[in-house]
Order: sequence, then structure tokens, then C-alpha cells
Amino acid sequence: MKPTRQFFVLAVCVPLLSACGSDDGERLPGSLDRHARAVELVVAEDGRPVPWVLAVEQVLHRDNGEEPVTLDPHLAEGTPSAHILRDLFEGLTSESPTGRVIPGAAIRWNISRDGKTYTFYLRREARWSNGDPVTAEDFVYGLRRSASPSTASNFAQVLLPIANAAEVLAGKVPTDQLGVTAINDHILQIQLKGPTPYFLRLLNHSSTYPVHRPSLVKYGSAFSRPGNLVSNGAYILKDWVLRSRIELVKNENYWDAENVIIKQVFYYPFEDQSAASKQFRAGELHWTYGVPNNQFKWLQRHYPDELVISPWAGSYFFGYNVTREPFIENQDLRLALALALDRDLLTEKVTQFGEQPSYALVPPGIGEFVSPQPEWADWTQAERNDEARRLYAEAGYSEDKPLRFEIRYDTGQNNNKKMALAAASLWKQVLGVQATLVNEEGKVFLRNREQMVLTQVFRSGWTSDYADPFGFLELFRTGHGRNYYGYSNALYDSLLDEIASERIPARRRRLMFEAERILLGGLPFIPVYTYVTKRLVSPRLKGWESNIMDHHYSKNMFLLKSVHEGEASAAAVERDEERPAEPEESVTEEVLPTATEEGQANEAPGEHAAATAAPAAEDGQASEDPGEAANSEEVPKSEPEDDGATAPAEAVPAEVEALPAEIVESPQVQSEAPGETGEVPEENDAAGGDSGSGEGFRE
Amino acid sequence: MTQDSGMLKHTLRRLLGLLPTLLMLITVTFFMMRMAPGGPFDSEKLLPAEIEANLNAKYHLDEPLLRQYFRYMGQIAVLDFGPSFQYKDWSVNELIAQSYPVSLTVGGLAMLLAFVLGTTLGIAAALRQNTRVDYSLMGIAMLGISVPNFVIAPILILLLAVYAGWLPAGGWDWGIASMVLPVVTLALPVTAYIARLTRGSMIEVLHSNFIRTARAKGLPESVVIRRHALKPAILPVISFMGPATAGLISGSVVIERIFSLPGLGSYFVTGALNRDYTLVMGVVIFYGVLIILLNFLVDLIYAWLNPKIRYDEKY
Amino acid sequence: MPGAVFWGQLMNDRVLRVQDLAVHFKVREGLLFNSKTYTLKAVNGVSFELNAGETLGIVGESGCGKSTLARAILGLIKPTRGRVLWLGEDLGKLDEEALRKRREDLQIVFQDPLAALNPRMTVRDIIAEPLWTFYPRIARVQVDERVRGMMKMVGLLPNQINRYPHEFSGGQCQRIGIARALVLNPKLVVCDEPVSALDVSIQAQIINLLKDLQKKLNLSLVFIAHDLSVVKHISDRVMVLYLGRAMEISSRSALYKRPLHPYTSALIKAVPVPDPKLARIASDTGLTGDMPSPLDPPLGCVFHSRCPYVVKRCELEVPALRRMENGDWVACHCAEELDLTIGKAPT
Repeated sequence: MKPTRQFFVLAVCVPLLSACGSDDGERLPGSLDRHARAVELVVAEDGRPVPWVLAVEQVLHRDNGEEPVTLDPHLAEGTPSAHILRDLFEGLTSESPTGRVIPGAAIRWNISRDGKTYTFYLRREARWSNGDPVTAEDFVYGLRRSASPSTASNFAQVLLPIANAAEVLAGKVPTDQLGVTAINDHILQIQLKGPTPYFLRLLNHSSTYPVHRPSLVKYGSAFSRPGNLVSNGAYILKDWVLRSRIELVKNENYWDAENVIIKQVFYYPFEDQSAASKQFRAGELHWTYGVPNNQFKWLQRHYPDELVISPWAGSYFFGYNVTREPFIENQDLRLALALALDRDLLTEKVTQFGEQPSYALVPPGIGEFVSPQPEWADWTQAERNDEARRLYAEAGYSEDKPLRFEIRYDTGQNNNKKMALAAASLWKQVLGVQATLVNEEGKVFLRNREQMVLTQVFRSGWTSDYADPFGFLELFRTGHGRNYYGYSNALYDSLLDEIASERIPARRRRLMFEAERILLGGLPFIPVYTYVTKRLVSPRLKGWESNIMDHHYSKNMFLLKSVHEGEASAAAVERDEERPAEPEESVTEEVLPTATEEGQANEAPGEHAAATAAPAAEDGQASEDPGEAANSEEVPKSEPEDDGATAPAEAVPAEVEALPAEIVESPQVQSEAPGETGEVPEENDAAGGDSGSGEGFRE
Repeated sequence: MTQDSGMLKHTLRRLLGLLPTLLMLITVTFFMMRMAPGGPFDSEKLLPAEIEANLNAKYHLDEPLLRQYFRYMGQIAVLDFGPSFQYKDWSVNELIAQSYPVSLTVGGLAMLLAFVLGTTLGIAAALRQNTRVDYSLMGIAMLGISVPNFVIAPILILLLAVYAGWLPAGGWDWGIASMVLPVVTLALPVTAYIARLTRGSMIEVLHSNFIRTARAKGLPESVVIRRHALKPAILPVISFMGPATAGLISGSVVIERIFSLPGLGSYFVTGALNRDYTLVMGVVIFYGVLIILLNFLVDLIYAWLNPKIRYDEKY
Repeated sequence: MPGAVFWGQLMNDRVLRVQDLAVHFKVREGLLFNSKTYTLKAVNGVSFELNAGETLGIVGESGCGKSTLARAILGLIKPTRGRVLWLGEDLGKLDEEALRKRREDLQIVFQDPLAALNPRMTVRDIIAEPLWTFYPRIARVQVDERVRGMMKMVGLLPNQINRYPHEFSGGQCQRIGIARALVLNPKLVVCDEPVSALDVSIQAQIINLLKDLQKKLNLSLVFIAHDLSVVKHISDRVMVLYLGRAMEISSRSALYKRPLHPYTSALIKAVPVPDPKLARIASDTGLTGDMPSPLDPPLGCVFHSRCPYVVKRCELEVPALRRMENGDWVACHCAEELDLTIGKAPT
């Protein structure tokens, strides 16, 4: 009897095992069918896709990571909320697919000479989803609510640059003292505490969104529920099934509704990334939030078109607690450890998704800022190891008397553990260091790291919401709430102060460069790598661009027909006639068909686009509201570029829609012409805005 | 005293006896949650002091702990679990009310499936003890018990959803199709366990004297099984089902993650990790009540199945 | 009462014939691979006959195959060899369903009275269940009446009809068991050690009850016990069983006075005797050693390993069960030579 039984168990196991294996095996035809190839993208003269390449069903299914904590824009935090709110609401400014600041609810704006007064001219045609006009009063109400202590927004620090914001938040003065005024229905003025060059960036953050007062009065805290929520963005909240899906439908009252192609968006929360990737493979998702760790090779082999990896504004590093032994005042030792870490190995073997080895704090690609690189960044690893050993010995450590310390990290879905393990073994291998790994639950880790009593070397990192290096640099200011490193350098602090008040971008960049150089000299942390976003995207989904902030608006996207669908419909209708005519005029594939407001881009990359933009702006404005033009304190100047001592005012990237030429923008052009008007706000200081605070730290 | 009134009294007394247990559970959880390092508003980002103060005031976290405790006890006395710290748009009551039907459906169906299938297979195996059928069934059952959910689930998803495309790979829309995989995955190990349990106890019962008597009475074998053997053979299954059902219908974190189900289970984890005090308290109390009630129900079923127990209290 | 008329005609006829009945079990010992299969010959070639209204006592030590024999007689176990003829019909040739039908005539009372009753059934259901089974259309009132009548007959209070077995004492449970067995008016009842689990004082009550009922209902009774004293009061004839074989079948009067088989004699001597004078003799049963394992019984006469009168022949030749002059049966080579009259010291 027994042998029979054993045989049986074996017989059952074999198919199971082979099924397991197939996860790493071939991609079966079934899954190919469910992600059918897209027809070739054809765009018309206006840069928009021609109708016959569009799928009939414009319903987008997005994996949105976790469940959003709220859809009240003023209470929102975390990436999942932010993604949805960007679709539902529109701030005064908005972003292009590549991440430039573009006009949002405000069609243009003026900034006073001292940089403290912003005047916004709202779109007259802007409507709430119930048809009410969007007025300056709505913004005033929204900003006051956001700052009000009774709202208890934990993201109100975004508002701190506004005059009196801190006092309002602390409950010292009533909310109507906030420096926000509605001049009339369509003109909004915001007074700042001090010049805050990055301020325009903040205005597409959810805590600055307007809210619809009547529905808030009517529904109270339930105003953000489906059915109640009145929004001013491209989409309306239709349904929210908790931890299951959030359904948005196109807002027909949106001012640019005619250019919104995706009619319905489903956001799904996924606690498990491999679950999301399976649903993607089953054809149930167009867009995943991430991909499972360790599947890079398999995905790259089987889903090369779908796997999208792009740089993301964040750095991963190890922190030193420089207030504790053995790292007090021991710069050489700190450098030795930094040197001995083979970053190429770590990114290749541990993170695996094309993360870039990093030797500085600020990740590349934030505006024009380029971080200083330490001398040893160019060395070979062997040279670094030699130097590391020399420094290690000089510091008084040896094989007999090895350096001992703890590496503290928290658990999660991430690579923290592997990273700590790899670092410890590299240090042991190169220097003979005896590092102990200490794994802690998330909040325990945060608390310990903050208290700086137990920590020696610990997992750290930062992502930025506002694409400004200052957000990173600020972390090491003496007494900063997130300075877990105990780093304190008077010169560094005074440089930070200078950066905060410096409005000339080039000069500001130089100051930031200098600050980071000082920081890298002091080395209270060990740079490891810079983040990437990694996701699976259906090849049929177009209209989006990789951007360093990872902000993607559904309103810019559209779904192409599958090849199959294309053939079917082509055979069916007499559109066949149009078809042969089109392709010659059309640009295909990589070319991004942009929404019109991005059209300002660039016939001539080298040129000052603002120069073209400005007259156009005047035209547009004049036709709309000549009276308001007189109110503006500044005439928008062209191009406050590098030697921009000339212009304290930010250029106005507005009215671009009035541009006659709708030119397709290509990403390459974009990056080659960084000085465009749209870019300017990025050279910013983040005095009040803790950039890392952003949408939550993505671990 | 008639049998029924005795039963009722017994029931009431047992129910009252459960209150201190519940109170203890609530108190211990409350203070343990507060003792855990870190708070609900700790995060990677910087929270200005004013904002943190506003938040603490809003959620009464600025009050002395005992006061918070009594405030909380007062709340739950009227069945109000308070607002969630984490999911700000929802109260804990709403969160539980929305996710519980999902867990109940998946878990309940899984338990039903496991019970029906498990006992059937178990009895089938017991009646064919030591035959090939018996060995095969028990072999599969052993496999079902030893292969964990998180291995079976992805295999099922790959085969039936990704490759075959018959069923959705995850998600929940209250459609049968979206229930099949989670229910089956959840039911498999339980089915296997129940099958083994049933087989064992059935074999034992079939060897007992009163079954011999029943056969001697001249009952057809089917009647012997149905009327005499089934109830006692199922007793161990019933006592297993109490906690098992509580476990299944309170939501399986693993299954919820793998199939992206909006069930209750994940709240235990996310709530605890986020120090969402009210959410954790809410689900713990809910789960506690559930377990207590289910065990109680099991006791009642037990008593119904076994008259000896009904009267034990008298002695 | 069904079948009563017919039954009268068969009085004094041989109703039950058991011919060379054997029941063997396969037993496996050891783990996984080095396991061995043995054959356990629980009953090995037993033959006897039973008249209507007669009581046969079957006695033997535990493990001698009494219970197996009891169940084999009733067809509850399939015999390996031999036949059981009930009213001339070979029970072994009947299919399960036909055999089940015979339960109306053939009943059994079990040893452990409480365990033999389904704890989840009331007395009513326990006693009535055979009625439902064989007379599905019978009215509930009639069933109740019959059940109460049976309870009264076995000495239970009819108002205890709704109670559960665990609410009764052992003796009462056995009364329930007897009522249950008799409810269909069977013609043969096999009592498998019905009193061995009961207190001595209660044993007598139950035995008397059975004796009364047997007379009243003219039952054929097979009464099994491990103790001759129990059987003495009720049996017309007694069969002594050892290691699955019949050693002796004698009328009661002859057996207790002058057993034919040394084993019978030993059993009689093993009966506890209240008289202290006799006690000394009684303690000396003449038996040596323990009963051999039924898995490995001695060759020749199975009793030879313990027999005080063993001769060479006993070890080689299995003695046949043969009829003696007085009509009794014995399986001993030396039956004629031995005088085992009780009261005498062994020679």
C-alpha cells in the first residue's frame, strides 16, 4: 500500500511544480492575446491622435498602489491620494506630461518685483463638475480651509510660504488673516511671507486645491464621498468601493473636456505587487504602480515593451549618527565605509532595476542642478578599496581590532534588508568590519532614528515632491526635524539661509552646489543609489511621459486600438478613405501628442520660448479680459535664465493655448531646452516646503 | 426543570461569562497599542509642531491616557469605534461594515465548501478504509494541508486567470467569477484538514459498540451511517470549525493580498503598522466578539449533537 | 405477534445448526516495510446445534473467540469457513439485504450496555428503531405502546421513555439493550457477555430477567460468559471454548458435576467459592501458565501447553469433538480415562 501512496503524492506534485516553474518560464500565448499589440500611433496636425487609432473603449485601469487615505484634498497624503486628486482637481498651476509647470485653473499670473505677491487670473470658462463657475473665492475658501487648525491637515506645511500661514495653523490668528485675497471673481492674489521661487510648483499640490463651498456646507466631512464630491478637474468621482476600486468618469464641465480622451478611469489598490503584475498579465490593468522585486530579468525578457523604468527624484543612502561613537568627528572612518561600498554591485545585484549608483545627495535630473561629485567617484572600486583600507587602518582599526557597529533598518516590501546585508558583507569583505544587522518594525525604526540614541548606521533616503535640491539639502540643517544624522555645520546652515532667499536661479544653483560640496566633505551619510520608477504599462496606453516626479494625469492619456481591433474597424467603416492619406502628415510612435497647453514647446529649442509666448499671452489676455492686464504689476519678462539678474519676476508660461501653432513636443527637445519658461519655477527654494514630505516616502 | 429552560439558562449564563473576557481583551489591546513605540502621525516626513498639535487635539491624543481609555469605552458602549486615523474619509464602523461582508462571504463560502467537501471525502475514505480510494484521498488531503495558500494561489491564478483567462486574476465585484479563486484557495487546506479529521473520527465511530448495535438491529448500512455514525463522527469537525470559521471569515491577509480582496484581514496588518489605534481596536474587538460567539455557537451545536453535555452542568 | 404460529410448530426442532464455523482475521504487525501478516484464528471449526427454546451457554477465557463466535452466528461477521444454518437456511449464502431481514429473528445483546447504546438517542428511539426499520408504516402510537410495553417487560419505568442512556445505571442500560433486542420478537437471541460489565448483585437480576423472558417468549438463547458460574443458572447446555475451538459441549447438570475436559474442570475450579473450606481446593485449578497467543496457538491439542494431563499424543494430534456415551461432546484424547468429578483432587 505504501508505495502506491508515495507514487500518488509524487504524481500530484509534478504538475504543481511545473506550474510553479511556469512563472519563470515562457510567456504563454494566452497572455499575449490579452495584451494585444497596439496599432501604430498616428497624430494629426494639432498633435493629437487621429480618431481612428483610438480604441473604442477609452477606459483606463490603473494600479494605484495602496488605498488612498482620503479624497479630501486638504487631508490627503501619500502618492495614491495624490494620483487620484490630480485627476479630480485642478490647482492654479498644473503640469505637463514631462513635469513642467503649466497653467491650470489660472490661465496666467503675475509676480511682483519683490517676489512676494502673486496675482492669478483664473480661466473664465472653468466650471465645477456641477456647472458652477470656479471663482477666486473658491480658492480663497480652499486655502483657508487647508490652513485651518480645525481641518487638522497634516500637509498644511505646503502653505507655510503664504503670509500668516504659520499663525493661522497654530490657531493664533483667524483663517481670514491668511494672505489670500479674491480681487474679483477671477483674480486671486496671494501674499507670501518672503520670496518663494518654487511657489508655483506648490500650487498643483492637493493642499492648495479649491473646494466647492456649497457641497462642503451641505455634506460636511462627507463631501468627498462619491455622489457628493464636486470637483474642478478633468474627472468626477463616480464610485469608491473601499479597498477595491475608485471609479472616475470624465467631467463634461471641465474647461478642456473636449481634449480629454479617457472617459473612465479605474484606480485599484494593490497591497501586493505580484498580484498587480498578474492582473496586468491577465489584461485587467493598463498601468501598474510598481513591479515585484527580483523579477527584473523575467519581465525584461517577456515584457520588454511593457516594462517602463525611468529615473525618479529620490536617493537611497545610509545615514551615520555622528553624535555617537564610533562616528563622532571621525570623517575618515566615515569616508572609508563610503568608499568600500561597491555601488555598481549593489545596484546590479540587489536593486536590479537600473538604479543609478550615487556619490552625492541630490538625485540627477532635478531641474538643471548638477550635484558636485567627490573625487573618488571616478576611481575604480579597487582604488576605492585601497584608500578605504588605508583610512580604516589610520583610524586605528585592524583585523584584531575590527570596527563594530549596528546597521539599523526597517522591514517592508523593499530591499532594505538585502541592502543592509549586502553592505555589511561588503564592509566585512573589504575592511573586516563587524556590522550587526538590526531589523525593526516601521514605526519603531522611525522613532529610534529620530531619537538618535540607538542608531549608528541606518537605512535612510529621501524623495522630493517639488523637484528642488533644497528639499534634500535642508535635511542636514542643524536642528532640522529630520536631521537624524546629528550633522551640524554653521557654514552649511548659513548657505541654506542664503539659498532660501536667493531668487536668481543660477546663483541659487551655485549656492546649492557649494552646500552639497560641504556636505559631501563632512559625509554624515553614505550615498548609495538614486531611485527609479518601475512599472508595467500597456503598449496601447499613450499620452504620458516618464517624468522625474512620477506625476501622470489621466486626462493626457489615451488608449490605442489593438491591432486586432484596428483591422476589424478598418474593414468595417469607410474610414479607409482617410487612412491612406493620413500617415504622410503624421508623426508616429515616440512622438508625444501633447495637450495644447504644452504646445508652447519649441520650434526652436534654443530660442526663448517666452519671447514668443509673451506677445501671444497678451493677445490671449486682451481678448479675454483687457481690464485685468492693467492690474498686473509686472509685464511678463522673457526668460529669467542663468544670468537672470535681469528679471526678478518669473516668466509667465501662460496663454499658451492661444498660440496658433500646435506643435508636437518631443521629450528630447524638452530636455535640451531646459531654460524654457516652464522650467523656471523648478529652480527653486523650498524654504517652507519640506520637499521630501511630499506624497509620502516610497519605500 | 425542563430541558429547554435548562438550555436557555445555560446559554444565558455562558453569554454573561463572556463579557469579562471581552472587557479584558479591549483593555489589554488598548494599552498595548498605546505602548507600542511610534504614533499614528509619525512618518518619514516632517510634521510641524503646530500641525501635530492640531492632529492630536482632533483625535484627543493630547488627553491623559486613562481619560482616553474611558472616552473610548464610552464610545464602544454605543458601538461607535470612532474615526480611522489612517483612512480619514471613513469611520472604523464604515470600514468594517464595508469590508466585513467581503470577508464573511469569502470565508463563509470557503467554510461551507470545506465542510461539505471535507466531510464527504472524509466519510468516503473512512468507508473504504485502507483501500486505494482512501489512500488517494488522504494523500491529496495531506498535500492540501502542507502546501500553503500563497503557493497554491499564484498557481491557480497563473493557470486559470493569466493563461486560460477563465477567471479574473483578482479583485472583487460581488460576481461569482471573482469569488471562485479566493474561496477555493481558502477552502483547500481546510477541506483537507476536515477530510482527515472526519475520516479519523468516522473510523473510530464505526468501530464503536453502538454502531455494532445499530447493525445488529438490522438497519441498512446507509441508515447506520446517517443516523448513528454521522453525528458523533462530525463532533470533532464541529469543534474544529468554531475557531476555523472565525479565522476564515475574519479575513485572511494572505488571500486578500494575493487576490486584492477588500476584506477585513488587511486592517489587522495595516492598522497595526500605521498605529491606527481606532482601526486596530475596532477589528480586534470585532474579531474577539466573532470568535467568542462562534465558539459559543459551537458549544451549542455540540450540546445539540451530544445530550450528555447538556446535562453535565447539573452534576 | 408475527411468526408465532409457525414458531410453535418448530418447537423442539433444531433451529440453529453451526457446522465447522471458522473466523480468521488477518493481522499486520510492524512498521512500513518489515511488517508481517499473521492469521488470527479467532474461531476455528466450531460446531453445535440449538433447539427452539433452548439455552446454550458458551464459556471461555477472554480472547478465546467467544464474541467473534457470537457475531459469526448472527452473520455480523462473515465466516471464513463453515456454515450457520438458521431454520435450515445458510446465512452465509444470503446477501447483505436478505441477511438484514433475518435480524427480525436473530438478535444480540452486547457486553458493555452503555457503550452499546447510541448516546444521542432516547430510550424510545433506541427501542423503537428496529420497529421503524422493519415496519416503516407502523403508527407512532403503536410504536410508543410497544416500546412502553417492552420497557415494562424488562423492568424499566415507561415514563423514562424520553431519557438518554447516560441517565441510566449499567443494569438499567442492559435492560434497555434487552428490550431493544426483543422488540421485534426474535426467535434467537445471542447474549454476548451481557453481565460481565455489571456489579455482581445486578448480574443476578439481569440473568433472572433473561431467564424469565426466555421462558415467557420461548426464545432460543446463546448465552456467552467468561465465567461458568454465570452460565450455570441459565443454560440448558454449556459449550466450553478455548482458543477458538470447542473443548466440550455438555448438559448443564453433567458439566458441573463431572466435566469431561480438563479445561472445563479448571474453569469450574476457578469459580470463586464462598465456602472457605473449598476455597483452598478451588484456588488450585491445575492450570499452568497463561493462555498462548491466539496468533500462535500450540500444535496438536490447543490446550496441551497448559493441560495437567498432557500426553504425547496431545502435542501431535488435534482431538476431534466427539460424542460421549451420555450424549455430551468433548474434544480430548483422554476423556475416557480421566475422571474429573468435582470435589475430587486431581489425580
